[in-house]
Amino acid sequence: MDNKKQKLVIIIIAAVFFISAAVSAYMLLSDKGDTVEIISGGKVLYTIDISREPDREIVVEYKGRKNVIAIKDHEIYMKEAECPDHTCIKTGKLSKSGVPIVCLPNKLIIKYSDNGSEGDVDAAA
Amino acid sequence: MPQRKESPTQRLTRLALLTALALIIFVVELQIPDIVPIPGVKLGLANIITVYAVYHYRAGEAFMILLVRILLASVYSGNISALIFSLSGGVLCLLGMVCIKRIIDEDHIWVSSVAGAMLHNIGQIFAAVAVMGTWTVFGYLPFLLVSGGIAGTFTGLSAQAVIKRMNKKNKPTDSN
Repeated sequence: MDNKKQKLVIIIIAAVFFISAAVSAYMLLSDKGDTVEIISGGKVLYTIDISREPDREIVVEYKGRKNVIAIKDHEIYMKEAECPDHTCIKTGKLSKSGVPIVCLPNKLIIKYSDNGSEGDVDAAA
Repeated sequence: MPQRKESPTQRLTRLALLTALALIIFVVELQIPDIVPIPGVKLGLANIITVYAVYHYRAGEAFMILLVRILLASVYSGNISALIFSLSGGVLCLLGMVCIKRIIDEDHIWVSSVAGAMLHNIGQIFAAVAVMGTWTVFGYLPFLLVSGGIAGTFTGLSAQAVIKRMNKKNKPTDSN
């Protein structure tokens, strides 16, 4: 067995691991804006300023399957979902960490808008 | 690893046994509650069988084990919609491990396992991008890679421990 090649592979894998760890940490720590997007089937359905939005519920339908998104006290979460896994409900409230709420079966994503965070940086500067 | 000459029936039995083992491991893992509520983050214990198969059987045979396991597993879990993610991830993982097998020997099988797990995550993400029609989900990749790296190390070390024991057992009698 070629030892040099083995080492190279290990180094590459380690590099990928640590880079993604760094990127994850960066995403977790970076402050997003207040703009939340609700994307269904690749299209942005709603753009919401979460800091100003009153409490309400939004129903999004995909191929006859419903998702109920709730906004409460300026936080957004998936309240009900007609899908097999309910991962999106277990994700809980959308955190500022950059981890979006995703419902894969119903192709629904709730996330902080990328533009929002850029705008925020500008405002801070 | 070139094995002793086996009859087709013996080979079939071994492959079937491995597939059954992978499925049992999968079903047991289903009972473990999700630690992190991110789709795609899991231990992937059935990967132990896949790495083992890659190192002990032909690529085509390992592929058959993987395919049957994924299809039946999605039936058992009742989550057919996850099938496309497991398939794309599993196939990429297997291809990667078959290539890496040429470089990494069996004593460092956990390295292949880590690479395989990460490739699995990459395959999943691309499937998700295709299904969701947006690159947004790509932001998940770093999280998945970290979890995949940890899970892959774990399953890889498990595979290594299993192989060590099997080699020990097979040596003196050499009957099976």
